[in-house]
Amino acid sequence: MTVSAASRAEVRRERARRLGPLSALTHVTLLVWTVLVVVPLLWTFLASFKSEQEIFGDAWSLPATLRLDNWARAWEQAHIGRYMLNSVVVVAFSTFGTMLLGSMAAYVLARYRFRGNRAIYLLFVSGLAFPVYLALTPLFFVVRNTGSIPLIGPFIGLNTHGGLILVYIAYSLPFTVFFLAAFFRTLPEAVAEAAFVDGASHTRVFFQIMLPMARPGIVSVTIFNVLGQWNQYQLPLVLLTSVKEKWVLTQGIGEISTAAGYNADWSALFAALSMAILPMLVVYTLFQSQIQKGLTAGALK
Amino acid sequence: MSLKQDERPRAAAGDRGSGGSRIAWSTRARARLGRPLFIAGFLALPVTLYAVYVISPYAQAFHIALTDWRGVNANPRFVGLENFRRLLDDGNFFKAVGHNLVLLVLLPLLTIAIALLFAFLLNAGGRAGTRGVWGSRFYRVVFFFPQVLAVAVVAVLFQQVFRPDRSGMLNAPLIALGLEPIGFLSDTDVALWSVLAVLVWQAVGFYVVLFSAGIASIPRELFEAAAIDGAGGVQLFWRITLPLLRDTLQVAWVYLGIAALDVFAVVWVMTAEHGGPDYSTTVMAAEIYRNAFQYSKFGYASAMGVVLFFFAVGFAALSLRLSRRERLEF
Amino acid sequence: MSHPSRRELLRSAVLAGIALPVLSACATPGGGDGGASAAPAPGATSAANPLGLAEDRPLEIWIFDGGFGDAYAREIHQPLLKSRYPKLEIKHNTTKEVAKTLQPRFAGGNPPEFINNSGANAMDFGALVQDGQLADLTPLYDAPSWDDPNVKVRDTIDPAAIELGVYDGTPYVLNYANTVWGIWYSAKLFEENGWQPPKTWQEFLALCETIKKSGKTAPFTYAGKHPFYIYEAILTLAAKIGGKEVLRNIDNLEDGAWKAEPVRQAAEAFAEIGAKYLLQGTAGLDHVQTQTAHNNGQVAMLPCGSWLENEQKDTTPADFGYALFPLPDFTSSDAMPYGTLHVQPGEEYVVSAKSANPRAGLEYMRAMLSKKAAGEFMEKVSTLTVVKGAGEGRTLSPGLKSASDALAAAGDNAVWFLFRKWYAELHDEVAAASGQLMNGKLTAEAWAERAQKKADSIKNDSSVKKFKR
Repeated sequence: MTVSAASRAEVRRERARRLGPLSALTHVTLLVWTVLVVVPLLWTFLASFKSEQEIFGDAWSLPATLRLDNWARAWEQAHIGRYMLNSVVVVAFSTFGTMLLGSMAAYVLARYRFRGNRAIYLLFVSGLAFPVYLALTPLFFVVRNTGSIPLIGPFIGLNTHGGLILVYIAYSLPFTVFFLAAFFRTLPEAVAEAAFVDGASHTRVFFQIMLPMARPGIVSVTIFNVLGQWNQYQLPLVLLTSVKEKWVLTQGIGEISTAAGYNADWSALFAALSMAILPMLVVYTLFQSQIQKGLTAGALK
Repeated sequence: MSLKQDERPRAAAGDRGSGGSRIAWSTRARARLGRPLFIAGFLALPVTLYAVYVISPYAQAFHIALTDWRGVNANPRFVGLENFRRLLDDGNFFKAVGHNLVLLVLLPLLTIAIALLFAFLLNAGGRAGTRGVWGSRFYRVVFFFPQVLAVAVVAVLFQQVFRPDRSGMLNAPLIALGLEPIGFLSDTDVALWSVLAVLVWQAVGFYVVLFSAGIASIPRELFEAAAIDGAGGVQLFWRITLPLLRDTLQVAWVYLGIAALDVFAVVWVMTAEHGGPDYSTTVMAAEIYRNAFQYSKFGYASAMGVVLFFFAVGFAALSLRLSRRERLEF
Repeated sequence: MSHPSRRELLRSAVLAGIALPVLSACATPGGGDGGASAAPAPGATSAANPLGLAEDRPLEIWIFDGGFGDAYAREIHQPLLKSRYPKLEIKHNTTKEVAKTLQPRFAGGNPPEFINNSGANAMDFGALVQDGQLADLTPLYDAPSWDDPNVKVRDTIDPAAIELGVYDGTPYVLNYANTVWGIWYSAKLFEENGWQPPKTWQEFLALCETIKKSGKTAPFTYAGKHPFYIYEAILTLAAKIGGKEVLRNIDNLEDGAWKAEPVRQAAEAFAEIGAKYLLQGTAGLDHVQTQTAHNNGQVAMLPCGSWLENEQKDTTPADFGYALFPLPDFTSSDAMPYGTLHVQPGEEYVVSAKSANPRAGLEYMRAMLSKKAAGEFMEKVSTLTVVKGAGEGRTLSPGLKSASDALAAAGDNAVWFLFRKWYAELHDEVAAASGQLMNGKLTAEAWAERAQKKADSIKNDSSVKKFKR
């Protein structure tokens, strides 16, 4: 690259000239999608302040007054706050567990040769292709049966967050192991070897050297797992059914949508939807650069 | 994380050099003994969890698929391949398979095409050439919004957006213009496209971010050199962006393909009659859930699950073979 | 993936399955305690406690939170039971998704004692009966009634209520509410416009035409997202044209039952309504949306059950004046006279045989069937009940009065069908096809063809338990 600074700037100007019309078109295209994304969300938000009659009226009319009681009803009667807290607790523990166990397994499978390594790895990875719907019925009984294990049973059986967390972890392992194993394999040997020569144990090398080195991958998979587990609808549907106080947010929203059908409380439905949407957008917007960096750093390695 | 099992004082490591072969030997011995323990210790918990909650249910499901199990306490009768034979006569299941295949083709295709276009516009379409289009950060943040929302939430949201009368966000302007409203979820010819639209709507943002990162990692000089050679924006895209994103595109294809086979919540929550109207949007997962948890035909539903399983395994094997990525192989 | 590794994979998968014999074994139990269940063993019975309720064990109750809400259970039935058994602990629960919520409990072997298994997402009764999950209600019906120890429970209620809950000769399900179906309208709207409830199909079509021409109001709608609401009307009309056996043949999965001429005629008649007179967007609206449109005067008529008035009480204008008319005469030679009604004791309640305290569930039912409980229920939720004379001395709302009058007028000309409960699959298929019939995407013949095909496939499916009436 021996192009001088001046000619480089020239190239840019030239390119800008050629791309001029494209640039205008670019913004139009991007704005169209922005509208497609934002408008349904905004519309939901506005509808959450409407009365029944307004919701059944013209979709594009504005609410006459800000009916905050819709939000109050959604919060109190539909327990959106509780469901959200449940979701946060479950996802926090399950993601942590997934990352801990997943990275341990991935590390060993990626960097140690031993009999059965390949079989175990394939067993994990093949889980990527297993559709969860096949396992649903038997899984229910497995979880129910773990509930009768002495001592820990009451914490991991049906209708417990513990049980759901363990199931989330188990079903997140295939992707986590697959991804992190690939990642661990790409890490250089030298640092770990030096540590072994220094007498560090395998465990110590993992936690103090390899794990920090794999940070981009870890962050990336963590984000994948948080999103995936937060979104999960099918598993809690089967495993947490009978105890409403333990429901997670997706169940709560699903229930309200059915409830609106029977009780005609559509404004509360929109308020509940807004409550489910807003915090996610806020959290995401606050951490968006980390989230996007994490995702890409991992996915592209 | 403080799972340090090795609390040997640092001094010991320090005098290794002068200690000669004795220390070196013991280190090797420790390593030899520690290795199997370490491997077993690290694998025990993940493998146990995986065996209990994933492998054992799947294994049982294959067994249940060969029975006429209709409830828990009824004695399941072994019926061989009867459930699979019956599947052949099940028009609704064939519809579901067809819809999954349509989604399997179109969801990746549309999502990748749209995301690629946006990623390219965001990164290479800018005037400065190197920093991406003005406001690209804003766009990337907004485009990603749908991805952070739970699918069930998105499904309920679009149920409202698609309402068939003037209370529906999309139909209100149509009706105002004197046009016939579109039965987004009530017209059997339209409903599946509505489902697809929602799936794409939600997926695009993630892949824009993914592809953007891919494009950003392409050296700027390549673009500039091509520009000097007189390449326009479109040519830049086809000659540089696309070929260099091959790997990323393959990853995207696999993710989206698996997502297309696993579609459930959008269909179950958003559509009328859970996959309707008249089964026009049903998918394999919905038929499995319907047969298992609404008709209590656990055996039959498991047979459907087995079919879905082979679709998924087939797809995974196919994409692994096609991608030929060294890294994916062990 | 190389060949050996795939084999290894399969082997480990199988091993994993075998290595967990407890889990495997419990998922598909080999023990044959399925099939018909015995009546729950009574505890100590006495005159005051004829069913032998065990007061020291809790009674868990699940009420479907639908059109009736759940307040009636908390405020009427439970206090009444408590008044006789003050020590009994009642655990009250409510759900809108009965199957989703409770199916796992049955599957898990710890079902609650008493369930109001109703609504669009109720559990499949056929499967529950087949599993031996439901308690035989015979001891309840033979017990002395709550109000009068000299009269058996069975003699205080409408026999149809017992008959409809019978599976294989054993009563398992108590139908508590009584429901009549018809075409609902606003007495006020009809009066203002000078419209008359039609007596013949010709009059009905003419009325639809008149309403359509008026321009302000659409003639007809139904809950398009739940096409049960329209196939109910089609089948009632079919029975009116061809007689009660039309529906009995359908329920009994008789060959060609769906292809009978009266069924086809009825489907064709409603297909015409669908083509010409529907409220715009009907196919995409659910029951609440169409019913709200009805309340707002956007549409004049819709088919529904007698729970409608209560379900809509929050959105109905004060002077709306709910009223219903029965399906009009199709021809002058209909097998059944004008006034024939689809009457169906409904709102199903069951006691689970395998719960911890089934006798308490039965006793709860006995309390529900008292005149006091039924009468207050009727007032509270504006619905007829199966308890004879429960409405005596109670004040009824316009819609309930209209339904009650229609029921009295119908007398023996009551028709009903049960396949919806017996064969959920057939219900789903007929519902799906009926939506298409009304949208003009299916002819009456094709509609009947589809229903018949599903009925035949159920008939040939040995894993599905068959019922007869």
